[in-house]
Amino acid sequence: MAEEKKPVSELTYKEASTELEQIIRALESGDMELEASLESYTRGVELLKSLRERLATAEQKVSVLLADVDGTVQLVPGDPADTTDNLVL
Amino acid sequence: MPPQGWNLTGGAHGGGASGGARRGPAGSGQQPLPWNTPEAANRAHPSSRMGGGRGRARSTAPAAQDPATAADLPEGAVTVSQALELASAALNGIPLLTVLGEVSGFRGPNARSGHCYFQIKDDAAAVDCIIWRGTYSKRSFDLRDGMQVLMTGEFNLYKPTGRMSFVAKSFTLAGEGLLRQQVAELAEKLRREGLMDEARKRRIPVFCTRVAVVTSLSGAVIDDVKRTLARRNPLVEILCVGAKVQGEGAPEELIRALGQAAELNPDCILLVRGGGSFEDLMTFNDESLARAVAACPVPVVTGIGHEPDTSICDMVSDRRASTPTAAAESVAPAMQELEDVLEQREQRLSHAFAAQADRAATGLLATGERLARAMDTRLAHLRLELNAAAARPCLTNPANIVERRRMELAQTEDRLSRAGGEAMARYRGVLDQLGPRLAQSTVGLSAKDHDLRLAATRLRGAGSRLLDAPAAALAQAAASLDALSPLKVLGRGYAIAYGPEGVRTSASSFSPGDRIRVRLADGQVAAQVTEVAADSPTA
Repeated sequence: MAEEKKPVSELTYKEASTELEQIIRALESGDMELEASLESYTRGVELLKSLRERLATAEQKVSVLLADVDGTVQLVPGDPADTTDNLVL
Repeated sequence: MPPQGWNLTGGAHGGGASGGARRGPAGSGQQPLPWNTPEAANRAHPSSRMGGGRGRARSTAPAAQDPATAADLPEGAVTVSQALELASAALNGIPLLTVLGEVSGFRGPNARSGHCYFQIKDDAAAVDCIIWRGTYSKRSFDLRDGMQVLMTGEFNLYKPTGRMSFVAKSFTLAGEGLLRQQVAELAEKLRREGLMDEARKRRIPVFCTRVAVVTSLSGAVIDDVKRTLARRNPLVEILCVGAKVQGEGAPEELIRALGQAAELNPDCILLVRGGGSFEDLMTFNDESLARAVAACPVPVVTGIGHEPDTSICDMVSDRRASTPTAAAESVAPAMQELEDVLEQREQRLSHAFAAQADRAATGLLATGERLARAMDTRLAHLRLELNAAAARPCLTNPANIVERRRMELAQTEDRLSRAGGEAMARYRGVLDQLGPRLAQSTVGLSAKDHDLRLAATRLRGAGSRLLDAPAAALAQAAASLDALSPLKVLGRGYAIAYGPEGVRTSASSFSPGDRIRVRLADGQVAAQVTEVAADSPTA
């Protein structure tokens, strides 16, 4: 493969997901060399594993855009949703 | 014109009222009076009563109207007509009014006349209301029950039934109705500008991983959004941008917040607000805010109020959800869906790879089969060749060669013998011819034979003669030679001794035991030397 592949851990969920889909499509097209397809398959399995892990360990990330006294705005970490109290819903 | 319409089409109110009016005189008047038959009187001059009635009522005393009946009236009493004249005059004294009320019992323009008969009411009162066809045809909106309207017009009393109506010369929406109309007009304007075209709505990514939420940070809505996404898909990053969502200055704050949110470069912006009254939600019908939503560089998903509220922001946004929660749910798939997708992909991946490997294996198999087939074919070919070679007579029956040669030889032999016979015959033929020729050719030979014999005789004679002299000489010489021969000497008693190497003349050349041969005149003697005695050399 000509392009340099980023380590799976450095990809965002969406990038990893997109690459996985591309790999599957390429494999499904069936015009790949056996060696290349083996390589793709290995990469695909790696991506799949990483995506699964991310799903399992996903934590909500919330930021709040706050204005300073001088009017500049800045993004600061915010509280994720409190999902323990379902009665509120 | 209008009075009949009212009477005939007034529906429940009209019918009931006119019935009452008819009963009225019978109940109130003690005896039926000839002038007290309003239907007949009214139908005689309907237009004059409407058109001119008002002016006359203002200037003429009621008593003057019907002097024929006045005589029967008790002192101080008036007829119904007179009473209604008074009332009508009083009503006509009321200046043009603008009345706020709610439309009730509206059934649309009358099918025949085109006039509208209904009521306007508030909490405590109601009044019949008439809108003539000409007025209603100039309307900017259709009246409906429940609408708050401002009716401008005046009262009119229809004497045949004693019924009072408010005749509206114009009407407009009021309150929320007015707001709604304005909103509808703005919506229409923006629609004509194309801001609501389906074609300009941007696609919201199926999975927005970075979502900006523009709403009030103090309300429950932001928590709802966060909680909804935390439960549905915690992978979604939430950027909260606060803004006032109702009241003075809210549109401006929201426009600024939209801009700030867009700069954070999210996948989409959620513009959300909880439910509220129509007036509360009017912020989201603001034209500049609507234009800001339409112009936002990032796709906007709205979730404003609750179904069935639809604001202009909803109409111009890229996706409209019915509630903030629904808006939040629409921007990301549930975790279970992601897991399902991964599940499917896993299957597709292994499937595709297995298929790939299968294809390679199949290809290999096919190649192998071709190879084997090619080899088989080649071998079969070679085998055929070999069999053909083996089947050739030289190998199956080597004796054949010899036999054939023998046959050939036999044939050759035959040919040879045949040829030999023929040759002999030919030669015999030639020879047979030669015999006579030879015989022919020897005819002259006997003469020559005779000559030859003669010559031979002569030659013989001559020859004998020729040898006589040399023979005599030879005899002479022989006699001499005989005289000289050693054999003659031997005849005289001499002998010759031979050793192994020939003639020996010395006795000393012998030793005892040597073989010795001695030649005598008539033969030889072989002996062994027993003694050697040499002569003394005296001689």
